[in-house]
Amino acid sequence: MLKIKNLHVKLEEEDKQILKGVNLSLEPGKVHAIMGPNGSGKSTLSYVLSGKDGYEVTEGSAQLEGVDILDMEAEERAAAGLFLAFQYPVEIPGVGNMTFLRTAVNAQRKLRGEEEMSAGEFLKVVRAKAEDLKIDADMLKRPVNVGFSGGEKKRNEILQMAMLEPKMCILDETDSGLDVDAMKLVAQGVNALRDDKRTFLVITHYQRLLDHIKPDVVHIMANGRIIKTGGPELALEVENNGYADLLEEIA
Amino acid sequence: MAASSQTTSPTRALRDADLIDGSGAWAKEARLTASDRAQAAGLPQRRDEYWKYTRPDAFVQADVTLQASLRSGLNLFDQRNIISVAFEDGKIQAAVLPNAAQCTLESLASASVLDLHWARDVYGRLEEAGQNPIKRSLAAVNTAVAREGLLVNVTGAVEAPIHIHATSSGQSDAIIHHVIKVAAGAEVTLIETGQYGARSNIVLEVDVADAGRFHHIRVQDGNERHMLTHIFGRIGAEASFKSFTLTAGGQLTRNECVLQLLGDDASVSVAGACLGDGGFHHDDTVFITHDAVNCESRQVFKKVLRNGAVGVFQGKILVKAGAQKTDGYQISQSLLLDDDSQFLAKPELEIYADDVACSHGSTSGAIDAQALFYLRSRGVPEAKAVDLLTLSFVAEAIEEIEDEDLAQDILDHLTETLSAR
Amino acid sequence: MAMDDVQVKDGVDAETVEAVKALSGTYKYGWNTEIEMEYAPKGLSEDIVRLISSKNDEPEWMLDWRLAAYRRWLELKEPDWAMVDYPTIDFQDQYYYARPKSMEEKPKSLDDVDPKLLETYKKLGIPLKEQALLAGVEAPEGERRVAVDAVFDSVSVGTTFQAELRKAGVIFCSISEAIREHPELVRQYLGSVVPVSDNYYATLNSAVFSDGSFVYIPPGVRCPMELSTYFRINAENTGQFERTLIIADKESYVSYLEGCTAPQRDVAQLHAAVVELVLLDDAEIKYSTVQNWFPGDENGKGGIYNFVTKRADCRGHRSKVMWTQVETGSAVTWKYPSCVLRGDDSQGEFYSIAIANNMQQADTGTKMVHLGKNTKSRIISKGISAGRAQNTYRGLVSMHPKAKSSRNYTQCDSLLIGDKCGAHTVPYIEVKNNSSRVEHEATTSKVDDDQLFYCRSRGMDEEEAVALVVNGFCKEVLQALPMEFAMEAQALVAISLEGSVG
Repeated sequence: MLKIKNLHVKLEEEDKQILKGVNLSLEPGKVHAIMGPNGSGKSTLSYVLSGKDGYEVTEGSAQLEGVDILDMEAEERAAAGLFLAFQYPVEIPGVGNMTFLRTAVNAQRKLRGEEEMSAGEFLKVVRAKAEDLKIDADMLKRPVNVGFSGGEKKRNEILQMAMLEPKMCILDETDSGLDVDAMKLVAQGVNALRDDKRTFLVITHYQRLLDHIKPDVVHIMANGRIIKTGGPELALEVENNGYADLLEEIA
Repeated sequence: MAASSQTTSPTRALRDADLIDGSGAWAKEARLTASDRAQAAGLPQRRDEYWKYTRPDAFVQADVTLQASLRSGLNLFDQRNIISVAFEDGKIQAAVLPNAAQCTLESLASASVLDLHWARDVYGRLEEAGQNPIKRSLAAVNTAVAREGLLVNVTGAVEAPIHIHATSSGQSDAIIHHVIKVAAGAEVTLIETGQYGARSNIVLEVDVADAGRFHHIRVQDGNERHMLTHIFGRIGAEASFKSFTLTAGGQLTRNECVLQLLGDDASVSVAGACLGDGGFHHDDTVFITHDAVNCESRQVFKKVLRNGAVGVFQGKILVKAGAQKTDGYQISQSLLLDDDSQFLAKPELEIYADDVACSHGSTSGAIDAQALFYLRSRGVPEAKAVDLLTLSFVAEAIEEIEDEDLAQDILDHLTETLSAR
Repeated sequence: MAMDDVQVKDGVDAETVEAVKALSGTYKYGWNTEIEMEYAPKGLSEDIVRLISSKNDEPEWMLDWRLAAYRRWLELKEPDWAMVDYPTIDFQDQYYYARPKSMEEKPKSLDDVDPKLLETYKKLGIPLKEQALLAGVEAPEGERRVAVDAVFDSVSVGTTFQAELRKAGVIFCSISEAIREHPELVRQYLGSVVPVSDNYYATLNSAVFSDGSFVYIPPGVRCPMELSTYFRINAENTGQFERTLIIADKESYVSYLEGCTAPQRDVAQLHAAVVELVLLDDAEIKYSTVQNWFPGDENGKGGIYNFVTKRADCRGHRSKVMWTQVETGSAVTWKYPSCVLRGDDSQGEFYSIAIANNMQQADTGTKMVHLGKNTKSRIISKGISAGRAQNTYRGLVSMHPKAKSSRNYTQCDSLLIGDKCGAHTVPYIEVKNNSSRVEHEATTSKVDDDQLFYCRSRGMDEEEAVALVVNGFCKEVLQALPMEFAMEAQALVAISLEGSVG
């Protein structure tokens, strides 16, 4: 699904190398987790993959289903099936959540050469999916993420994911700022979207999210590289021993 | 018969004989005193502090040289139940104005020939009160020479909005003077759309008596036209005044709003959203005087500018001694979509009472990169994303409109305007 | 009582309370020094300009410069846009030059200075001895020494620590001395930041300035001590026109302090100063002022009319200037310390407390003119009005088309004490490029009753409570001052508000 080869990335403004040769191969239908200490480059990886400005790829490639995505605009990547659930979803006052969703869904369809969804159909679908995530009608009417609690914002991200039906989902620190109940609800939403074609990349600092979204593969990232790859047991190891041991092991 | 408004330019010498030709007693008096005011104050000059960011030249030059016809205009509120009044080239296009419950509609042309009329207590009076401390001589000129306008006497709650729609053809100069009198406890909504002339000088005087409510929604579009508007409002105790203007066209617009809060517990809101493109110059100049206790005033202005458009905001809150418990709020913000555009602001507070909470804020900057990325990561193309963020930016101003349906109409119109450009 | 419990704005500390409690009486510096003076004839003319120039043994180019300024001044009109109202100033009814007789022969060292003058400064808390003392605050041994240039009416009485500073390459002397000893530097920079014809008062100053301070910090030098100038107006009917020029060469740093007082007199006196700061690449200047000129009495009689032009030119890339002012004195204040951010990545900051009580009028603020790329400015202004005073913040933030990616943040807050005073805010914001971000916020409110009540319920009287709350309101600016000044400023805040409540 997603193949990242020897990816080197630096910050445009500071001339600072953040990713120093990341290799990852994610198969369809699998859930991969990336764990790592703060500043290891996890969030940068998610931003670079989704096309945020301010980063310069100095070496390497990233392909989604065999197509190079690094030269695409952010919206083209989205239409190609890539989705990033933000660590800090952005507030957009004055733009209703529904308007936003419908604009996004139809924009993607248009870019893919598909027909736009009618207002009626859209409403039906969004209501059903919102209900699963316990998002009430009021939240749909309110401006995007404005006045939402931490949990509501993350649920709203998952709702967007459900509506946009991406192939490749990246979850950036989705558990940050959530209590246990909110995290469970979000995890349920994610799990409901798991199937044998859709791939997930779950970026997290702590193991606790992985109790709810069970990964197939766990990667440890440090200092801009993947330093270790293993099964779910690797996440537990980190939980028990911290990152220090692992980092020493490598050094 | 009276000189037609097309041939009366703002600087042509004001001759008493012309001014009072065909005027009834009350209009005669109002026109002559306004003429004295205008002559005493003189026309605005480039060096005037009050015209620091907008050159008055285009408004004071003798002849209008613009070819700015606007015939059709938008059908923005046509679906709503409205009381419709059409202006064409500065003339009301109806022999008999519509009848509506709780109010009477008359034209200035027909009322000014009478010797007695209710408008005498408002016409030119609020404009005169608004000349202190700053001279607004072009408004006085308007009072002196305007021959047409809509006079509305509101005695109860008028259900449907009164909608003025103006069209113009070519090189016309329009000087129009409206007067709205809202009786105690009465309520009315006035909508203004279209363009009165290639160059217009419009005065709207609004007298809101105790517990009265006045709502004003204005859409200014058009092409080359130049437009100078003044609103003069006198607001009584527990009364409410709300005015919102959307400007998405025209070459030069200056909207002045001068409000006096004279009764306790009153509230006013003046809001504006503007989309400027190319050779567009837009100036909002607001002066709100708090002269009573426990009043609230809000000024909310949002300007989205690109391709060298210029946005100006001059807003002042004056709190007089004794106007305690004043709550004054003022925000002016610009979104500059490219490097050629300019935002020039002078938000002022002048406060002589201590128990007040007044604030103003002003920001200027480019579109929020983070929000833009968020939208694009959801598949929204950049241009569309910019439109959405533009809507988001101006939303706070549109939210000042009380009637949700009308606010929705404005929002829809704005969305359409954005996607069309 | 436990001070930690007091919920006053932004944590006022015990130090403040002590400072506030230690105070009593009104204007502390209103006494007069009995000393024999020598005056130039009253009034202003070319002859007076020539006289001032000759008293200072100036070279001809300086006289020509002054005369050009004088002729220009004759053509200018007094500005009237500020929100200050005062009787027309009769410029012919002033003395433009007054110096103690004992200063006729320049003292060779501080030891030769008239003991009366030394006593005057000692009484002001500014001993002209080379020791670590300022404003009565004793500094720990070996730390924080302050060099002082003392200006008394029209002349500099003496400058301390000159020899030691010279070892570091720093020139610190009176401007009259600099014109004689360092003409190349003066000619290059004088009037280059504030042009002769900049404004009415600056032009007047250019014609008649008699003394002031000069500082040059050579490349790469961090000035080894703080420098300060203390201005004292003593003579009656005499205007003080001082001129300060500070040049911070590449990668240099200096912190400069300025204090001013005057005796209590019934007749208003004129003060029109010009301060020019020049910053080359990577230079930094901190300029702090505690302005405590006699404010006039509670009925508005007397006081100093203070018309000051202060401007910093950040010519160099990455240069940084910080203006901090505590304006408590003067009957009329007209003052806008400004920053021209010409160099890329240069920074300007303006921190201001302006207190106007009784009949005082203050119209003060700043201009931040962004010309270079990636320049930053910050304005924090706290205005306090009491009595029948009028206090105006007036400011300009201008982002030129070429000042890409620049930033400004402005916060300007006004506090009203009593219902007879006024607080006004007049900012101008001009943005001509879209990569820059400008944010302006302003608030006006009265002293919070809950805070006052809280303080009083803990045993403070009303004036103490007000002083405490006001100090909290000003905290952000007070913190920007060097330590010695911060203490003095806190005390001043309290004194200035005497009689404002009850």
